[in-house]
Amino acid sequence: MTESTVTLGRFFAAAREGRLTAIRCGGCGALAVPPKELCPECGARRWEPVPLSGEGTIASFTVIRVAPRGHADEAPYAIAAVRLREGVSLLGRVVDVPLDSLAIGMPVRFRPIVVKDRPAIGFGPRQP
Amino acid sequence: MRRVAVIGVGVTKFGRHERTSAELFAEAAADALADAEMPASRVQALYYGNVVGGETEKQLHTGPQAASVLGIPTVPTTRFETACASSHAAFRHAVMEVASGASDVVLVGGAERVLNVPTADSTEYFAYASDASWEQTLGLTFPGVFALVARAHMHKHGTTEEQMAAVAVKNHRHGVLNPKAQFRKEITLETVLSSPKVADPLKLYDCCPFSDGGAALVLASEDVARTARRPIWVLASAAASDWMLLGDKRDLSRVPATERAAAAAYRQAGIGPQDVDVVELHDCFTIAEIVATEGLGLFEPGAGGIAAEKGWTSLGGKIPVNPSGGLKAKGHPIGATGAAQICEVVTQLRGEAGARQVEGARRGLTHTLGGNTATVLVSLFGRD
Repeated sequence: MTESTVTLGRFFAAAREGRLTAIRCGGCGALAVPPKELCPECGARRWEPVPLSGEGTIASFTVIRVAPRGHADEAPYAIAAVRLREGVSLLGRVVDVPLDSLAIGMPVRFRPIVVKDRPAIGFGPRQP
Repeated sequence: MRRVAVIGVGVTKFGRHERTSAELFAEAAADALADAEMPASRVQALYYGNVVGGETEKQLHTGPQAASVLGIPTVPTTRFETACASSHAAFRHAVMEVASGASDVVLVGGAERVLNVPTADSTEYFAYASDASWEQTLGLTFPGVFALVARAHMHKHGTTEEQMAAVAVKNHRHGVLNPKAQFRKEITLETVLSSPKVADPLKLYDCCPFSDGGAALVLASEDVARTARRPIWVLASAAASDWMLLGDKRDLSRVPATERAAAAAYRQAGIGPQDVDVVELHDCFTIAEIVATEGLGLFEPGAGGIAAEKGWTSLGGKIPVNPSGGLKAKGHPIGATGAAQICEVVTQLRGEAGARQVEGARRGLTHTLGGNTATVLVSLFGRD
């Protein structure tokens, strides 16, 4: 069969360049975060890549103070679940926001980051 | 399908041990067989839970290893890994093996050893149960996962840090009554609220400890169980899964897998939450107990924090939750936890829980959560 429209590798390669990509089901129009082989809504196997704005708001957040071995030198750091304007949500590090000013509902914008040599999702401040 | 009963239980002391996980399981399993008055030669299968053996003990293939150390090397053995719900998943499959008629006597259990490695390492190994590409890269920890749940619950329902702390105080109070518990000392709200932050808003005393330990139980078909002294019947055992990525979960204040597993279990048993007398649930973090009491239908959504604060979940309260001390005080050797919860409920339904006995308990529930809320098992038990 054909390879998924957006593999994990392609997603993060584009994210590193500043572009977030979701996938839209050709059967029912559901929007999803890749990779998915089958649509969880209708079962179809027809995805199209769609660009995401990267704009969203914080749905929940935490400040990690006791970190895993591999991230111990980075603590404390903030992680948030961000609901994007298009309706999907991503987890990311929040950067350039004072830790004590984090709040649910805070507007943020996607920012590509590299954590320990690996591409990752980041979010920085955004004017509402 | 045939009726299935638990006829024997065994649990090691939880805490720090200088023994391998296989040795810890073997102690619990031998105790369970003795409790069941069942010779090991009658065991037809072993269903085993173990999670981070590959990391902390450099040991895979832990199922046959555990069976060998117990002394039943030729019994068909399978290891289950569903993160912290592993031995509850093992239990559900073992119930199906007995219910189907394939076997009459099956051993279920699990064990874990983590206190032989530093906390930063065990924190990292536990984080392997979150997504490697999306979540581990961010440095997400398990306290971090439930901190996200806590913030969402506080925002939606007004749940407070004091209400979460009340869960820890209650479970420590219960733990004092449990000789097998890792922590047997009372704490105050102030102890919790002034403890160091781990992942805001969760503090050290909102978190269960790292633990070594083992647990095991003997399952039997109805014919065999009728000859046992104190059979406790399995009324239901249900599993549910959910999205792996936290980002894919629509409402972080809920654990939908708990709601689905509970609904399936109540349907199987033909009872509802109002029929349950005692509950052992997955309080890996204080907020996890609050959300679970709601998801299991014990309280309305948003009322879990109030229930903790008012003492409704204490021994002597409306519905006692975690009389064992829960994961918080009893300890959480992750591969053993699901089996240990079942052992506690069986002990309660037999009326043998001593100082922590829920008076007159006839029906009990166990709830075990795995990973970033993507696995939940719920089982129901009843006495004759």
